[in-house]
Amino acid sequence: MDKAKRIANKQKQISISEFFEKNKHFLGFDTHQRAVITAVKEAVDNSLDACEEGRILPEIHVEIKRLEGGRLELVTQDNGPGIPRDSIANVFGKFLLGSRFHAIRQTRGQQGIGITGVVMYAQLTTGSTTTVLSKIETESTAVRVDLALDTKNNRALKSNEERIPLEEWFEESGMESHHGLRIRTVMAAKYQRGRQSVHQYLRMTSIVNPHATIRLRVIGKNGEIIDEGEWVRTTNKLPRPVVEIRPHPHGMQFGTLQRMLKNTKERNVKSFLTKEFEKVSPLVSKKILGHAEIDEKRRPSGLSVEGIQDLLSAFMAVKIQAPPTDCLSPIEELLIKKGLEKAIDSRYAATVTRAPTVSQGNPFQVEVGLVFGGDLPSDGSVEVLRFANRVPLMYQQGGCLLTKAIESINWRPYGLEQTGGKGVPKGPAAILVHLASTNVQFTSEAKEAVADNEEVHAELRRALFAVGRGLQSHRKRVGQRQKSRDKFDLINKILPEIASKSSSMLGRPKPDLSPIITKIMNAVFCEEETIWNAKEKLAICSIKIYNYTARARAYTIIAKWPEGEKISIIHESMKGQRETIGLRKWRLDAINPGKMAEITFSVGGLGQGDWKEAEVFFRGSGEIIGCEKLDEVLVKDMKRQESLKEMVEDFEEELENHHTPNENVGHVNQISDQVEDFGGDFSKWVRQGDE
Amino acid sequence: MQDRNRSKKETVDALHAVAGEMHDRMMRGEPPRMTLPVRSKTNIAFDEKLNVYKYGKKKTIRDATSLGSAHQLLRALHVTEFMEDMIESEKSSTLREMYYISEGWGYGKFGSQNESNNLAEDLEIVTGCLREDFKLRPEEDGARIIGNLTFRERNRRGEWMRINCRDDVGDSGYGVPYNVESEKLELLEHDIDFMMAIETGGMFDRLVENGFDELARCGLIHLKGQPARSTRRVMKRINEEWGVPIVVFTDADPWSFRIFASIAYGAIKTAHISEYLATPSAVYLGIESGDIEAYELPSDELTSRDIEALKAEKSDPRFQTQEWIDQIDLMLKLGKKAEQQSLAKYGLDFVTDTYLPEKLQQKLGLVIG
Repeated sequence: MDKAKRIANKQKQISISEFFEKNKHFLGFDTHQRAVITAVKEAVDNSLDACEEGRILPEIHVEIKRLEGGRLELVTQDNGPGIPRDSIANVFGKFLLGSRFHAIRQTRGQQGIGITGVVMYAQLTTGSTTTVLSKIETESTAVRVDLALDTKNNRALKSNEERIPLEEWFEESGMESHHGLRIRTVMAAKYQRGRQSVHQYLRMTSIVNPHATIRLRVIGKNGEIIDEGEWVRTTNKLPRPVVEIRPHPHGMQFGTLQRMLKNTKERNVKSFLTKEFEKVSPLVSKKILGHAEIDEKRRPSGLSVEGIQDLLSAFMAVKIQAPPTDCLSPIEELLIKKGLEKAIDSRYAATVTRAPTVSQGNPFQVEVGLVFGGDLPSDGSVEVLRFANRVPLMYQQGGCLLTKAIESINWRPYGLEQTGGKGVPKGPAAILVHLASTNVQFTSEAKEAVADNEEVHAELRRALFAVGRGLQSHRKRVGQRQKSRDKFDLINKILPEIASKSSSMLGRPKPDLSPIITKIMNAVFCEEETIWNAKEKLAICSIKIYNYTARARAYTIIAKWPEGEKISIIHESMKGQRETIGLRKWRLDAINPGKMAEITFSVGGLGQGDWKEAEVFFRGSGEIIGCEKLDEVLVKDMKRQESLKEMVEDFEEELENHHTPNENVGHVNQISDQVEDFGGDFSKWVRQGDE
Repeated sequence: MQDRNRSKKETVDALHAVAGEMHDRMMRGEPPRMTLPVRSKTNIAFDEKLNVYKYGKKKTIRDATSLGSAHQLLRALHVTEFMEDMIESEKSSTLREMYYISEGWGYGKFGSQNESNNLAEDLEIVTGCLREDFKLRPEEDGARIIGNLTFRERNRRGEWMRINCRDDVGDSGYGVPYNVESEKLELLEHDIDFMMAIETGGMFDRLVENGFDELARCGLIHLKGQPARSTRRVMKRINEEWGVPIVVFTDADPWSFRIFASIAYGAIKTAHISEYLATPSAVYLGIESGDIEAYELPSDELTSRDIEALKAEKSDPRFQTQEWIDQIDLMLKLGKKAEQQSLAKYGLDFVTDTYLPEKLQQKLGLVIG
């Protein structure tokens, strides 16, 4: 036998278990503390993915028990679709199952070794089998089976397989669901609390999965409860179903392309390109092949190394539209806000979901959330919550692109402390960063830190700037509100007492206070209050304009409200008009000196806490304390964007009816990108100083 | 300060004038206000005639256009009403009691005792009355005195008692009452060459234990930090009525310099009555900045607050003599401060056997022993 063959043979003989032993550091099982986090993560990620595919609102219970000898028993239970009896061995017994070669989309499961790793780890460290209890809706009984791994042949060995009647399923699962999955395993592991713990992992998971209810219970050796957590869903809205897309030529690498060429069923390179790639029309395909000087009729598998190289260069040389971005599943601004609010008690939350964009043929989208104030500790660094495709990243914070983007921003103008204007800022805040992408690039196999990427970095910065500006204007509003509250106290409480006390002490007449009040205030004030009416499920916003100047005033008051699908204005105290999306205006004629005018309106279709503060703007001369002048340029811009967007939507509708060729669809997408680009950043409305 | 005491009516009228200014303005449709001299080092000036520092001409207007000032005006009215009540009923209260009584004043309530103390001083200034006229007492401790001095003090029963501050007192000395005016306290006789004011209790006790009062034929008075009004007033009377020189012995730090300034030149907070409280001829004995090196005293680094304070003193009109500029600059240069008790480095008797005799000879030409 020659040397090369001997080596190859030897390599084959390395068993899966040896592979696991050698690589457990990047599989997430390197320490006993981390092993339990990884195990929970694999199980919970699978549950969330399965529920999402099955369009089920997830209910996930995690129970951990400390056993003798440094072991833990881990039980995870979900109400997902369950796994059919015949597939159980496959799902739990094979490493790296179902590598989605042709299907590109955003899934959580991309990121780990899979649940098989958990079965393997349990088996290697304690010799235990893993028990799976699965119930699928179409069957009247559940199935229970113990699983072990045949590490030589990379397959699962089943034992004690049995059918379980429905009542027993209900009892064991502790759920009323007719479908679900329960996994029980015993492993060498250690439960610890802190920043890197199962508790923190589930807390973070619940933030980015506001549609999930997650419970955690950790029990000590004597049955005492060591740790507990419960995160109840704050929305019944499931994440948008993700669409699978084909690869985009811009994201291609040599090896991948070579493999695709070898495996394709297409007979010639032209159809290979149009069928296997996104955004490659017959015309584009022709252009690519022309540029690469490859005959359209060539068999894909027949391309030489040079031919593949030429094809790759042609991909970059020929103009190809960006891939579609509906394969991404952002959490969306309102839901991030809900998620953050369910996990962190704060005064203020701002979130920004940027429009999807593309880097090297991979669609990606960034989302940022910032919470501020309340019970958050003000002395330390802000908590950084990192997520990739809705999966929490808990290790290697310093080396991660998401952290670097936060550190690259000077937060001081926005009201957070930061030594030297860089680094993770300090203050009573938490910053959430989510990167959704079909292909998240990590710095290492451990998949804990996102690798550097200029386009992602730039998008992150834009989103962070936007939440920063939001925080800044929030703080300004709070400051102004305090100032006007002080003035109101002064004229309503203190001044009348000074008047009555001095006149009674001196035995003189009481002075008329109104001219004094006008002199003290000498301004127009705006007070805004948004409250929640639980009975009618309405958010009610009241805007009061006080004229404490010597002459009558007239204004148009404009309020920002969360206009959207199913979210509408139910009542208003005076007839208003729509200015543009999310902006409503009311005309206030002649508020006389010393008088107040009030506008109230209620908004339906929101949940409690969705909307706590209305930004109020005005048109008219002078200043109003607590209210900013509307920037007409930006409003004009918004109106234009809105009409453009409407046009695009009409056009898209038309396209759906007429199956227009690809090129045109792409054109529409480009417009639509521009329109969405405006999304979320309302702080841009605020006029900076006088022009 | 007998000559300054106002009759009940005069006091009430002066207080009503303050309320009157507010009321008059309101009747004219203007926000109520109170006019006060600026009470900071930027508004004190040396009064050639009185030989002390007094408030200058800078005025500050406290008017009801901000919430904070409006609160102050309302408080002033509450305090006025309260004082009137006390004058009528011939009662008195401590500043601290007034602070607690303000709990019931609604929006006129004080936020801290410092605020109530300051307002009492404000009213003294604008009315030209003294807090004694308002029937307000400080609860601050008066000083302790030991030495061969004899006072006559009128006790609670209205009887005059003769007290010798060496023979009739225990180790803690004679306690100076809050009122040291002639209706309460008379200076009878003494057999001392000078009066030494001492900043810290530890040093006061050391000098008492070592019998320094008899050794050096002096009176010892413990300042208890920044001295109370009565402490400064009694020193002033001792100096004026008996012609006894006052020497001041403190730590070597920026705060000690201020203690001396308040004794010799007048304090910023009480500049309206400096001529009654300050002793312009008082002498700063030590510890001086130069002593830290000359005596190789154990010392501490100046903190950033200390450095701030020294820099502030450089723009304080009271410290503009060459001696003080040199003291301050030297301390800044050394970056060090020292406590009185650091003299114990050379033994417990060093201060009385060596340091003070050297200083007294140097500063007053006095030879001890």
